[in-house]
Amino acid sequence: MSSSKKVITREEWEKKLADVKIRKEDMNKLVMNFLVTEGYVEAAEKFQMESGTQPDIDLGTITDRMAVRKAVQCGNVEDAIEKVNDLNPEILDTNPQLFFHLQQQRLIELIRSGNVEEALQFAQEELAPRGEENHAFLEELERTVALLAFEDTASCPVGELLDVSQRQKTASELNAAILTSQSHEKDPKLPSLLKMLIWAQNQLDEKASYPRINDLVNATLEDPVT
Amino acid sequence: MGGDQVVSPVQPPGGGRNLYDLYDWRRPEPKTDEEEVPTHLNTTTCGHFLVISTDKLSARYTGEGRHGHDVGAIQANRPAPQQKLLYYFEIFLKDRGQRGVISIGFTDENFKMSRQPGWEPNSYGYHGDDGKLYHGQGKADNFGPTFTTGDTVGAGINYASQELFFTKNGKLVGPVMKEGKGPLYPTIGLHSPGEKVEVNFGQKPFIFDIEALVQEERERRQRSVESVSLPLSISHSVVRTYLLHYGYQDTLAAFDVASGGAFPPVVVTSSEGSTVGDSESYALEQRKILRKLTREGDIDGVFSKLREWYPELLQSGVSLISFLLHCQKYIELVKAGSLEAAVNYARVELASFFGVSSFEDTHLQDCLALLAYEHPEKSMVSYLLHVAQREAVADAVNAVILATNPPNLGKPSQSALEMLLRQLTACLMERRYLNGNQGEIFSLQRVLQGGKDGGCEPCLAQVVVYFVASSSQPLSVSTIVLHCHVGGSATFSSACAHPRDKVGICFMITSWAKLG
Repeated sequence: MSSSKKVITREEWEKKLADVKIRKEDMNKLVMNFLVTEGYVEAAEKFQMESGTQPDIDLGTITDRMAVRKAVQCGNVEDAIEKVNDLNPEILDTNPQLFFHLQQQRLIELIRSGNVEEALQFAQEELAPRGEENHAFLEELERTVALLAFEDTASCPVGELLDVSQRQKTASELNAAILTSQSHEKDPKLPSLLKMLIWAQNQLDEKASYPRINDLVNATLEDPVT
Repeated sequence: MGGDQVVSPVQPPGGGRNLYDLYDWRRPEPKTDEEEVPTHLNTTTCGHFLVISTDKLSARYTGEGRHGHDVGAIQANRPAPQQKLLYYFEIFLKDRGQRGVISIGFTDENFKMSRQPGWEPNSYGYHGDDGKLYHGQGKADNFGPTFTTGDTVGAGINYASQELFFTKNGKLVGPVMKEGKGPLYPTIGLHSPGEKVEVNFGQKPFIFDIEALVQEERERRQRSVESVSLPLSISHSVVRTYLLHYGYQDTLAAFDVASGGAFPPVVVTSSEGSTVGDSESYALEQRKILRKLTREGDIDGVFSKLREWYPELLQSGVSLISFLLHCQKYIELVKAGSLEAAVNYARVELASFFGVSSFEDTHLQDCLALLAYEHPEKSMVSYLLHVAQREAVADAVNAVILATNPPNLGKPSQSALEMLLRQLTACLMERRYLNGNQGEIFSLQRVLQGGKDGGCEPCLAQVVVYFVASSSQPLSVSTIVLHCHVGGSATFSSACAHPRDKVGICFMITSWAKLG
């Protein structure tokens, strides 16, 4: 089968590439979408000025969203919750899992700061009742409370909860929920298109040999394998 | 030498691409026609033993059904559309007649209407009397349940998996491999006295939840695409080189400040050992200034800077870049309402460009046509007055300057983003071509417009389009309105609770417009 694969030469392929119409406007939209979704608010403002591309969301909401995100990243979960509720109280009301993860993060921050007493009280009063409603929540709660048992958290099996990446994870989940509440998709389109490119090249590999782009950064065409 | 030879500074050497391409996208493209779909039964080629209702949507068998060549088969008026992910239609059995030998399936254009679908080459039929799937020249496989009076049976094509599928009373019966690649017609066959069926080509809702199947198919593909892993911070790097390429310097600075620390600096070594930053940041400051001037409509400023920095680009009096700039200057005069000055400018600066090439002629005609309208902003050439026109000229200026960078010689003047998007589109087009030109056609615009909640939204749009397109009756528009649960047209943007509604509405508006 593989020997009968169609071979497309570099010349033929370059002609096909040249025939594709890519509108500048669409590329601008892709870039704007990336800046907005990833929260590059100043870059988005500048880009609107320099390219005339309209953002697909009110840029003011990015500033709020980024403030919420930053609060979680710095460990100020209470502050983040307050800010989200200012933005739109429905986000947490309609999203029990997210709310639990934020409370869990708050517990983690209390444990991190060595506030054992307060941490225990918070776990029992705020988190335990939610654990009773949902088994997965309960497991997470138990995992988190286990942090208290270790003086040296480096050797703790659940020590990863204290890692910065846990804050990032919670912050991303919150960020996504805010975007969804603003009827904006939670992921930028550009990475999906790049994934689709790799996927499409792999699919086409099964049927034809043609010049691939393996180096996405420089976007250079390889010679077709014959 | 042909008339459309390009003057040298205009064409980036070796790239096979020139400013015409770069500029071309501004002109409004003709709308591609929606693919036509089956709407009713084809009464001109149908079998002899059938009576067809006046709406051409139901058929009754009038033969005796004595032998293998007195079947009453009938096809749809058009083959199943091939630019969709899925195609589907249904029949309702009003009466099984004496023996219930009713079949549903797909056949090619050479099919004999005196035979059952599945008895002839390149045909497929699901038969009600024995529940078997017949394909090719009468090969029969055990397939599903039998069907009889009161049942609704459906047949569909899944272009993504290259399979046919059948349904009974809203339940999927099963898939079967599709072998041929040509167009297939929805077909039914009746073969015993008294048999009567009604066909639904989408003029009313289907019993089977085709939307769910479309969604499932899309999610399957989405998962497969999402499982691809990307090199770390590749999107960031693509955006950064894009900003560099087009000289969006202020954006770039803000982007770099904001991402400082969060991302490792993108150090990319190309084959020659130079970094991307080196060639992409070529003349960045100058390109930024020229872009700003162009965007502000200060074309005199652009000319003066170009004369100072890149006199060679303007030396040839008829270079494309001077042409575009002169046109823009003229357009700015029209926009400012200085029509007399515009006319004078055209006489002095633009007239000499007539006859240079068809590109110049077309563009000049559009430009001059602005004078013919009292309200040019409402005319066919209004695109020239749009701010995006300045952006296009700015991009052209940017491109000619990038082409003067010695290491860039011989490289096409395209951003990585553009090349990646070209490659993506070309790969998907080629794959579709090798699939017999069947399946959806990739459209970047659709990706950009659709999907406020990811990949699933475009499919809903597709389904809505399908419903509308499957009937030529304006009636189907009201089906859509019901379908979307949306009321008045004035309040729709606030009324749509879910983004899916928005897509439906967008389409609704275009169809209203079309239907007058």
